[in-house]
Order: sequence, then structure tokens, then C-alpha cells
Amino acid sequence: MPRLSDVKKVLILGSGPIVIGQACEFDYSGTQACKALMREGLEVILVNSNPATIMTDPEISTRVYIEPLTVPFVEKIIERERPDAVIPTLGGQTALNLALQLADQGVLKKYGVRLLGADPEVIRAAEDREIFRKILDKVGARYPKSEMVRTYQQAMEVADKLGYPLILRPNYTLGGGGGGVAYTPDEYERMITKALKESPTSEVQVEESILGWKEFELEVMRDKSGTFVIICSIENFDPCGVHTGDSITVAPQQTLTDREYQAMRDEARKIIEEVGLATGGANIQFAVNPQTGERVVIEMNPRVSRSSALASKATGFPIAKIAALLAVGYQLEEIRNDITKTTPSCYEPALDYVVTKIPRFAFEKFPGSQDVLTTQMKSVGEVMGIGRTFKESLMKAVSSLENRVDGLQTVTFSEKMLAHPNSQRLFHIAQAFRDGWTVQQVAEVTHITPWFLEQMEQVVRHEQDVAEAELTAEFLLKTKRLGFSDAAIARLKAVPTQNIRKLRHELGIRPGFSQVDTCAGEFRSETPYYYSTYWSKVTAPVATTKPRVVILGSGPNRIGQGIEFDYSCVRGVKRFQQEGRHVVMVNSNPETVSTDYDTSDELYFEPLTEESVIEILDRLKPEGFVAQLGGQTPINLAKRLVEAGHKLLGSSLEAIDLAEDRGRFAKICLELGVKLPAIRIPSSGMAGDLEESREIARRIGYPIICRPSYVLGGRRMEVVENEDELDSYFGRHGDYISPEEPCLMDQFLEGALEVDVDLVRGSDWTVIGGIVEHIEAAGVHSGDSMGVLPPQRLKSSTCEMIEEISRQLAERIGTIGHLNLQLAVKDDQVFILEANPRSSRSVPFVSKATRIPMIDLGVLASLGKRAMEVQPTKYQWDSGPHVSVKGVVFPFKKFPESDSILGPEMKSTGESMGRGGDYAEALLKASIASHINIPPTGEVFLSLRDQDKELMLGLARSLVGMGYRLSATSGTAKFLFNEGIDCVPVKKVHEGRPNCVDRIRSGQVALVVNTTSGRRAVEASFDIRRSCIDFSIPCITESHAAEALLTALKKHRSREFTVLAQDKMI
Amino acid sequence: MSRGFLILETGEAYQGEFRGGDSNAGEVVFNTSHSGYEEIATDPSYYGQIMVMTAPMQGNYAVDRAVWESRKMWIEGFISVEIQQSERDSSWRRQLAENGIPVLSDLDTREIVLRLREGGTPWGAIVKAENEEQARKLAMELITKKKQGEADWVHAVSRKSMEVRPGQKSGGPRIAMMDFGAKENIVRELCSRASEVAIFPSRATADEIRAWNPDGIMLSNGPGDPSAVVGAPETVRSLLGWKPVFGICMGHQILSLALGAKTYKLPFGHRGSNHPVRDELLNMVYVTSQNHGYAVDANSLPADARVTHVNLNDGSVEGVECPSKLCFSVQYHPESHPGPHEAVRLFDYFVERIQR
Repeated sequence: MPRLSDVKKVLILGSGPIVIGQACEFDYSGTQACKALMREGLEVILVNSNPATIMTDPEISTRVYIEPLTVPFVEKIIERERPDAVIPTLGGQTALNLALQLADQGVLKKYGVRLLGADPEVIRAAEDREIFRKILDKVGARYPKSEMVRTYQQAMEVADKLGYPLILRPNYTLGGGGGGVAYTPDEYERMITKALKESPTSEVQVEESILGWKEFELEVMRDKSGTFVIICSIENFDPCGVHTGDSITVAPQQTLTDREYQAMRDEARKIIEEVGLATGGANIQFAVNPQTGERVVIEMNPRVSRSSALASKATGFPIAKIAALLAVGYQLEEIRNDITKTTPSCYEPALDYVVTKIPRFAFEKFPGSQDVLTTQMKSVGEVMGIGRTFKESLMKAVSSLENRVDGLQTVTFSEKMLAHPNSQRLFHIAQAFRDGWTVQQVAEVTHITPWFLEQMEQVVRHEQDVAEAELTAEFLLKTKRLGFSDAAIARLKAVPTQNIRKLRHELGIRPGFSQVDTCAGEFRSETPYYYSTYWSKVTAPVATTKPRVVILGSGPNRIGQGIEFDYSCVRGVKRFQQEGRHVVMVNSNPETVSTDYDTSDELYFEPLTEESVIEILDRLKPEGFVAQLGGQTPINLAKRLVEAGHKLLGSSLEAIDLAEDRGRFAKICLELGVKLPAIRIPSSGMAGDLEESREIARRIGYPIICRPSYVLGGRRMEVVENEDELDSYFGRHGDYISPEEPCLMDQFLEGALEVDVDLVRGSDWTVIGGIVEHIEAAGVHSGDSMGVLPPQRLKSSTCEMIEEISRQLAERIGTIGHLNLQLAVKDDQVFILEANPRSSRSVPFVSKATRIPMIDLGVLASLGKRAMEVQPTKYQWDSGPHVSVKGVVFPFKKFPESDSILGPEMKSTGESMGRGGDYAEALLKASIASHINIPPTGEVFLSLRDQDKELMLGLARSLVGMGYRLSATSGTAKFLFNEGIDCVPVKKVHEGRPNCVDRIRSGQVALVVNTTSGRRAVEASFDIRRSCIDFSIPCITESHAAEALLTALKKHRSREFTVLAQDKMI
Repeated sequence: MSRGFLILETGEAYQGEFRGGDSNAGEVVFNTSHSGYEEIATDPSYYGQIMVMTAPMQGNYAVDRAVWESRKMWIEGFISVEIQQSERDSSWRRQLAENGIPVLSDLDTREIVLRLREGGTPWGAIVKAENEEQARKLAMELITKKKQGEADWVHAVSRKSMEVRPGQKSGGPRIAMMDFGAKENIVRELCSRASEVAIFPSRATADEIRAWNPDGIMLSNGPGDPSAVVGAPETVRSLLGWKPVFGICMGHQILSLALGAKTYKLPFGHRGSNHPVRDELLNMVYVTSQNHGYAVDANSLPADARVTHVNLNDGSVEGVECPSKLCFSVQYHPESHPGPHEAVRLFDYFVERIQR
């Protein structure tokens, strides 16, 4: 059956800013779907508020709207575009929820738009527990039983019925407060009493426990004719109790018999049919009791997901693309398998390798948060390792994490870290085996399926052999096949890694590169999607007449290095292709667009380590490799790769060093200062110990920004206000500071305006991509501050000065390609804070705001194009009619013990973009897109530090004028009274009860402005910010941000906003 | 553990670890099923074959005699990248070895698969040997000897005497099955729908079957080249039109031969659990479990027979129906084990045909 004839124009909903649990996998899915539907000749309209995505590039769809994913904005887009249909299954839960709202509020009906892929009934079936359970009952599937308990008496009866252990979930408490697992009747009696008390409605959900059960997931697809296929089975290494996003997972499943697997498959098919999912992809999670084999269904998602992205990368089957084609009417048998190009898509991939995914966490970014994994997802990224065996894939995944290139490092063993799931458990399991534990012992403590533990044990047991044995060719090959990296072997042999590589090369032991072909070799496959393995022989790479360029990706998403760099890589691939290059992509992150086999000419799914990349470069002998698109990861590798004889495209090692070496960079700045007197660099020093730091502090003067050298994204970076705090800083971070790796101390420019500059320089040209003015004052990490382009507060003469400084710096450094500068402006002086010799986090935002194709220009620069060809003067960043604001989203809700105050350490996971005719509109959109609930009325609670009080006076007056009620802590209240502003005084936390936190928690406050500084004051006001996070009340912690929000509030009231389609790039 | 080789009659040698069993020869084939190693090893259709598993890790979930598809293991050898080998559990490897099946591991099976895909499925041998030269010599001896054995593989694996099993459906039809190397699950599927099932040897005569007076006749799966099967095509031909007939795999090929069609050898066969088929009897497209090296030539079918099932990977015949002769058949395995279950409805379809 051909595609639906009445669908000519579709609207695709994106997933918005990156948050924990919803990351760039939806850029991957959406981009794939857009491309597929465009190829079908459909008009594709896309809406997404996240500018860092490839999908929002103007080339991907017919028209793009970077607008908030809320009903009012999307309705305006529908009104304007009049699509025939909306596809809601590609943008995660955000898109599904939005589609449901559009349906419920009558928008779809009003404009005669249909939903394709999942209708409201299907979406509800997945979301509503009761509906879903009815469906499961109907098909005879089991689920964990539970009952709502309201009295002690009833609680006892329920316990008898369900059996132990039991999970208690009190209703309406936050972060699961008062809940837990009861293993015995004694425990249960105690816990249920407390839980009933904690729940404001005295309701506790008591659930049968499936902790310790094996967990599986099936990625399924179905077309409208009823053809049903499993694309991939996934088995969790971690048993039930850990969110699947936080689990190490393995594909395909490894420990089910065929009968067990087929029974699960049958159940999945029945559920999908009963739910009524007519076409598309879904995932279903199951748990299996390891003792009895009993199986329960955990949940179902009728859409593409994080795991469908993983499944696509693991198998080569493009789930999102096929889902999009099914949605517009095709059947699986009509769609060709892209990889083999000869067989149809109505089959189930067969794998002759194993895939392991390991999540990457960021607990260190959230001081106070506990490294404990639960059913609440906390990881910020993931890596995938492909190997011929589980052992090889696991070890490659560990290497891909980028902080453990030498494998299963030794740790100080702790049984607690073994028993309770945490981000380091894998390493404690390995250590347990080193310390003589048996598989059975580890299995008893962890409930991990023994098969997995045996595999790990075999790896660990081999370590001793490596340490002792002579590295003969045979032994070394065996060791490599077990997944040991050169670095791991070197560690065990206590020799430099280079020696191992040299020996290995001399012995002729090189990895082969096997194809991911969806069919285990059964059919010939032309798609060059590879992974390395020491099980395969070395074969020649595919022939090409074009020069090869290898682009190094950015690896796992982490805070500070995320989707923005994948955007850079993907756009870079496309441009290098246009320039006649055969482009090779290397990356280890399964969520990304860059690891779509359809993106590059040749894809290597490999760890971004010196060893793996050198093997690829040696094999391909490219014209050069590109290190400036994938963030800091490839920049850090560049030197070793050049030393191994490969050519770096773009800025040279020397130019990279000049920008990154603080001493050399400061020297350049000082030199330039002679020519450009506005240039300043903050006073600074390097302290190897506390003693030294005190001396430096006396010289610089407080406040001071302190950070250990070699940090990414501002980790352990703090503003220190006095000597007590300096002592405390060294007390907490002293372990990371030594004379060899000293603490960097910089003068903190209080109240300065910070800006980001992104530019591209060729040999005889420079294009300034834009100047992004931070909305928050200096002191908030650039990744965490909102930004606006063009600047709203900088004088145009200052902007011109900044441009001039940037050009000169780039020239002096010898940049070829990208350079990002972080500057601060205070009293007309321009302080140069930092230079990054690569594409930066702000590049996608800047490109979308200015229509300047920064990445393309970077490619041209790398290829040595001259000004005559590039015509740099046509790229004017400040010539557009719109204002663009970058919004930011934070994961504080997931880290209940952590403070939400912003500082020099980056904590945000994602960004949004608001574009408008003026600053206010752009701000409003960015705020809404960042999930800030802008309250139309209600009470605003103010708690301001002294230096902000005067500044915030206008804000307070405006709020009152707009009809908001004010409340404030005593000091602030007194100040406002004196200024004639009415407000309710509220007690601080330590002043007794009811206090401000009680007031927030009882729902009386709609918005909080809480500015504070100094460690003690910050700690004292922690509860204010925490309660705001818990209750989803916007909490502004910086005065400039508060002013900006006021501007947005005013705009919000006016209800005047438009939607803007993105223009093509210049 | 000692050195072992897979030697192909065409000259290729692949070195790995010999993990038990006795050196042995057979046709070298590959199977892409992810799970089901025990079912595969005990499926009589794999008689005479050395099995290269594409899934790299085997033996993971240990063993369970209850899933055996017949009374013994039929494969001539078992090859995978890794086979479970731990102190806790190496039962699958041990079981293979105890049954004399040679196990070769720690080698790149993909290299072998690509060879089989490109050059067809030759004879070969798994041998335990110190070096390649020694291995080649031993392998060629084993291959030569093996080739001199029984050509009618169906006869080699079939029961030699009739066996009657009670069905679980009182009032259900009585079904006769010709055993060409039947998997136990065909018997199970029949028994759950029949009142009684009689299993006849492959060389049973039409009269013997008529004498039992069944309501329908099942032609089972089985190994090898259908054109080498003695007796069965004639027997089936004389039964056509008398009672409804349902053929599976070898049964489908024998039925097609009985209808006057021809069979041919596929380049490298279909062995796995993921082959898509368009089923025009049930009007569905679904994934099937497959295991065959030969196929029916569509052009050779008589005018009153039609192709009802098509393999969507290569367009080959996956099923045939001849309404005038009351028969239909499929090339794949609706009884699965291993593999997906969608096609199990064909057994219901068969019973409906009988009861029509």
C-alpha cells in the first residue's frame, strides 16, 4: 500500500531543551524522520525550541520554527502552516504530551489536523496506569500488583495479599519522601505508619517488589497491516531498581532461552495490538524473576525513545526513519533495508556482535547529591561499545567513557558500593573479583545475573596474567580480544602506553573493522558502518577517489559538552562533503545524529581515545583529521594524533596551545594591550597549596574565582569571598590541587557584563559570528547564564572594540577555523577571561540567531580557502531584525540534596532559544521554552542580599504595579517598607515557624527572587531554593536575571507574540 | 583445550580452539538465530551439517533437556566465537562434547559466514590437530568417508517404525504424519489439536497410511536434498486428493515433488529466526523460523498449484497450495523452536481444512 495520499504537509514536534531523560536522541530521531519525509516529497514543518539541534537547521525540513513547545505557540504555527497532520512520536514525552494537549484543547479539530503515529487513546494507554493495567489484564500479562492504602488496618491486609518485600510510595510527597522498601513485617509496620503520616492525603501506594529481577526491553515496530517485528532486545546488566537510563545495558539480550524470549515477544505483540498502536515504534520493558522465570510488564512507550536510538545504532535499523514512513502510510515490506539495500524492512536484525551501553553521570557537579541510583534517572549521557563479545564491548564502552581509558581501574573496594547501585559499581565489582570474591558472592549482593559477572571475572582474572606473562603475539592478541586497551595493559605492566602500542604494531596485531550490517553477514551490505574488533582480520577500507577527512566527535554527553558539539560535527560533515571530501565520522555516543550511518560517508563507532583513533587514522590515511568540532575531547587528543604522524586540519597544535596555556595566552593579551588599551586581563595567580594561595589572595584582593587546573565546564570552580572561604575551598578540593597541578586564582569581576564571542578565521579573513551578552552578571558560568544577541546593554562602541580585540587575538594566536572568547566588560574595559580554540557551545545558537553558517565557514578555513572565495564581508552578525535569547534548563529536580544557586560551575543540561521582534518577546519565549512557569498573578517572595536591594527597587515597584503581592524576609521587607512598598514580612528559616520555606511549600508563593552570596548566607538560604525546585516555582538567584524576567512578565501580560520561521543561512 | 581447525573441502582453513567432541565432517552452514542452540542441535533437519552460529556467544543460558526437538543431537559440529566456559556453567559445551559433537570456538565466525555466503556451503570438517597440515589431511579423510554414507538423509533420521501418540483434543481429527526428521514441536502442535497422531517412517507406503485412516496428513521437516529421498514423493503422490495434506520444510519439498515440481539448491540456504515471508493464505507478512538448503522452483509447479508464500528477502518460494489436491505446504517452520510464533496459526488452518 502506498503512502497516504491526503497527507502532503506534516508538522513534526521536537523535544525541546536537553534534560535528564530526554537528550539528543530526539534530535537523531527527528532529523532522520525529517530527512525521510522530505525525500518522500512531503512538506515538513518542524517546531523545536532547542537551537543546538541539527533538526532545527533550515536545510533539514521545509520550514523550522524555533518556538516554545506549548499549545499557544504551536497553535499559531498550525494556524499559519495548516499542516494535514502532526507526528507526535518523534519528540519524546514532551511531544506526546503536547499532542495530547492539542487534541484535548480542540486545536487539532479546529484546524482539521490529524495525529499520525499515535492517537490520543494510544498515548493515554501508555500514560494512564489504570488504562494500561486493563490492557495487560486483557492480554493476560502480569504487572507488579499494587494497592492504594489509606488505613493501617487496610495496609496489613494488603501486605498479606502482596507478600514481601513491599515498596511504599506515599502520595504527594516529593522525591519519594517517606517511601522505601520493606523487607519484613516489622519494617513494614514501622514504615507504613510513617508513610501514612507523611502523605498529605494519607494515601500510600503499596506495591509488590520486583527489586533484583532481571530487566529487559524490546524495541518493536508494527505497520498497519499488522506486521510486527522486534528490532532489538536489550538486557539490563543492573537488575530492577535502577532506572533503565541509568543501567548498563546490553544488546541483544544474553540470558533468555528461546522459549522465554519468544514468550516475551508474543506478549509484546499482544500488548501493542491491544493498545491500538496501528503503526510505528514502541518499547516495552519487562522484568523477569530470576528464580521462577515469572514475567511482569513494567511500562510501554508508544514512540521512539532513548532506547530506540540505542537499538538503531546497535542494529543498523533506522527506527525513527521507518516509523516516520509507516506513519505516512507505508508498510514494512515496502521499505527497503537501508543497510543491505537489497532486503526489505519487515525482518528482525541479527547481530554477530554485542553492544554495551554505559551511562555517564555528573554527581560531582552537584555537591551534596548522593551517588545512588534509583528508579529516578540521573545520568546525563551515555556511551556505547561494540565488540565481538560482551567482554570486548564492555571494555570498549568503559574506554569510551573517556575518564577510564585504562579499563577497569582499581578502586578502594567498598561492599556498600557493591551492594547499592551507584555510578562506580562496575569498578567495585571488578575490585571484588580482585579481592577474591566469587561470582556467586557478588551475585548474592548485587542480584546481577551471574552470566554477566562471569564475563567480568574472566577479564579481571586475566589481569594477573597480563602483569606476569611475556607479551608474545599470541598472548597479546588474546588480551586484546578480551578488550584490554593498550593503556590498561600498560598500567598492569607499569610501562608507558606508547611502548605497548609500539610492541603491538611490531607484532602486527591490529584490529579488524567489522560491519554493522543488520544481518550477521547473511547479505552483502554496502553501508560503511564499522566497529573495531581484534576478532577480525584486517581488511582494506572501502575505496574512494575523494580525499578522506576524519571528524572526531564529542563522545558521551556531559554537563559542559553536549549536543552543541554534535551539531558542529554533523554540519561539518555536510560541508566537507560539499567540498568534495569523503568524510569519516568517529564517535561513541549512541544518542547522536553524527553516529547515524546516513550522516557521513563512513562511520566508526569507536571510543574517542588515542588508541582507537590512531588505529582508524592509520587504516584510512586521511588527508587530515578535524579536532575543533567535537568540543574538548578531540582537542585533548590532537597532540598525540599529530605525533603519530597524522595531519591536523584547522588551527595548529601551536595555535591550540597558545589559546589554552594560560601563561602564554596572558602574555599575548598583554602584548595586544599595547595596541588596544582597553584590553585587560584579570589579576591572577597559581597556588600549589593553601599557604601560597593566601599570598596570592592578598595580591589580587577578594572576591576571587578559584579552580583546579585541568577542569572542564568549571568543575570545582568557586567564587571565594574571604580568607575563611579560601581555607574552606582548599579543605574541600585540596585533593585536586598540587604544585604540579596548581589552583588557578583569578580576580572576580563583580558586576561585570560577560560576553561570548564566536569567530572563524581563515588565512586572510575573519568572520565574527556574533557577540552574545550574558544576562546574568559575571560569576555565573557562561553555559548557565542566559544570553542575548545582539547585546542589549553593551554600547556599540564597546561591541566594536570587542570585535577588534577578537580579530587581533585570533590573528595573533594563528587560529584557523573556530575561536571562542569569553570576555567581561566593566567600566569600558574589556577583560579577556578565556579562549577556546574550537567550535563552542554557543555556535549553534549564534548561527541560528545570525544566519551565519559558522561551521561551514570553519570548514572553508580548515581547507585553506581565501577571502576571495569566502567573501567574508557578506556575513554581518548584527544586521538581522530579530533579537534572540538563549534560555537554560537545569536538572536540580533530579538531585534533591543539591543547591540550585548559580555560580562558576556549570550545571545546566540544555538550552532553549527565543526569537522575537524585541528583547522582551525573545526573553518571554526563551523563558517559556526553558520550562519557567511564568505566573500571571500571585505572590512574589523576595530575599535579597544587601548590594542588590537598591538595584531591585524598580523591580519591586513594577511587580506591585502589575498587581503582584510581595512578601520578603525581614531585612528586605524593612527596606521595602522604608521605600514605601507594601509587602508581607516573612520569617527566615532560622527565625522560627511559619517561615518563608513553609510559605513556599504551602503553595502561597508564585515566584521567588533570592539573591545571596557568601558561603554562610548561601547555605542559610538553601531551603528556599530547594523548596522552589520541589514545587516547580521559578526561583531567580541573580539580580539581572530578575530584571529580565520582569521584562518577560510584562510581555506575557500583553499576550502579544508572534511565531517566526527560521530563515535560510546566508 | 587444544588447537582445532575448520577445514573446507575447497581448501580454506580456520584455526580456533577445539573444545571437545570428536573430529567430524559435514556440510558447513550458518545460522543467524540469536537463541535456541539446543533446539537447533537436536533438530533432525540439521543432520549432516556443521553449524556455524553467527551469534557470538553460545551456551549463555545453559541447558534444558525439555527443549530438545528430538531424542538426540544431529549436528556434526558446532562453531561459535565463544562458548560459555566458566566454573559455574559450561554445561552446553560439555553436553555437545559428551555427545561427540566437536566444538570449535575462539575464531572469527564472520569470516566463515562471508565465505559461505559468497561461495556456497561446501563440505568441511572440524578437526583437532597440532598444525594446519595435519588438520587438512585428517579433514579430507573425514569428508571423503562421510560423503560415502547414506544419500537419503531423511531415511537416516526418520523413525523406522510407526508410533502413535494420543492427542489432547477429544473429538479432534486423527492426523497421520510422515516423519522425514520431524521436530518434536510439530508433534506437540498436532497433538494439541488432534485426538490422535500416528507417526509413520519416511518410507512407509501409501497403503500403510490409508490403513490407519487419518483425517489429515502432515509431512514433516527433514534434512538434506529432497531429490535424494527414496519412496516418499511417490507415496505422497498417491495420497494426494484423498485427505488434506500439510507439508513443512522437507514435507513442503516432497509435496512439491509429488505435484511434479522441481527443487534446487539455494546458494547458502536460509537458516535463522528472522526471515520475512508474505503469507497469502493468512494474508499477513511476518517473520519466520527457517532452516533449509533447497527450495522449490516456482516455474516448475503445475498449473493447478500456486505459490502462496514468498520469501521477501530473495523472492524464493516459501509455500504452495493446490486446492484441487487438498494440499498446502510451507518451506519455513510454523512450529518455531527456535523462532517467532506468528505462523503457528497454520496448524489451525490445517485443522480447519480437515474439518471443512
